[in-house]
Amino acid sequence: MHATRRRNESARRIVEGDVEILPLMNLFVVLIPMLLLSAVFLRIAVIDMSLPAGAGESAAPEEDPLSLTVRIEEDRYVVEGRGIPDGVVLRDGGGEENAAELSERLAGLVAARPGTEDVVILSRTDTRYEEIVRVMDAAREAGLSRASLGSTDGAGREDAP
Amino acid sequence: MTRPRNKRTRKGTDTIRMTSLMDILVVLLLFLLKSFVVEGDLMTPAQGVELPESSTEDPPRESLVLAVTKDALLLAGEPVMGMREIAAAEGLLLPALSRRLEEAAARRGELARLRGSAAETQALATIQGDRAMPFLVLQKLMYTLGQAGYDNVSLAVVRES
Repeated sequence: MHATRRRNESARRIVEGDVEILPLMNLFVVLIPMLLLSAVFLRIAVIDMSLPAGAGESAAPEEDPLSLTVRIEEDRYVVEGRGIPDGVVLRDGGGEENAAELSERLAGLVAARPGTEDVVILSRTDTRYEEIVRVMDAAREAGLSRASLGSTDGAGREDAP
Repeated sequence: MTRPRNKRTRKGTDTIRMTSLMDILVVLLLFLLKSFVVEGDLMTPAQGVELPESSTEDPPRESLVLAVTKDALLLAGEPVMGMREIAAAEGLLLPALSRRLEEAAARRGELARLRGSAAETQALATIQGDRAMPFLVLQKLMYTLGQAGYDNVSLAVVRES
């Protein structure tokens, strides 16, 4: 009986000698809401753009050795440029893998003509923004850092100076 | 045999079992600290805009923000035009937006004059476009911005993780 009580007392002492947790809890209670409020779950970035073709100051396409163009069509991307024998055509289902293929193709063209940085992305007027951004990504990954946008349709072009 | 003794010790000490709670808090704290960004001037996406994803790394800069939601165009958070108006607009210039941009430029010039600072800094504009926005809208926006003197336009995107 006596022995068990002593055992109990020592056990209690061990429990009472626990880590003082309250200040830490206070810290957490303050820190966590603060960090939660300032947390950024959606990281926003930007793509720097030149103006669409014909809308801004005159670019000098004559100086560009390749004048590379990617045309976004309904079901394919058409890559055109001076010195490229045939427009490279890629079937497209709107998927990521096609963009990767396009990027590879562009990278090959850039490797053949180092120093090429400009690309014109021509879209139809109803091309989705998402699709354009995907093509711009593909071009940037291929090393074409200066992309400009243009329209394949004549509509609206007559306004350009 | 051991059970009743345990029961007694617990009764005697009266402490809440904090360990599991502390585990959660520590993990949460570490996660939040990791995602903590020390960038004061962050861009927040406008309500109702679903930005496209991109692999770009450029951070957003302080600029005039044009947001294109599914049914309206917002300039610095205030509605300017409806999407139908934009689609119906003849040519590439959007008169309502043009007017608002002029007002904004005048206000900024006034502010610069009052502050006694030199001529206004470079005119920067960021377009937060919904991923389903058709290219024609983007073209009209960029044309109108270019006409209003905003030569540097960037496109806001969500950074791919």
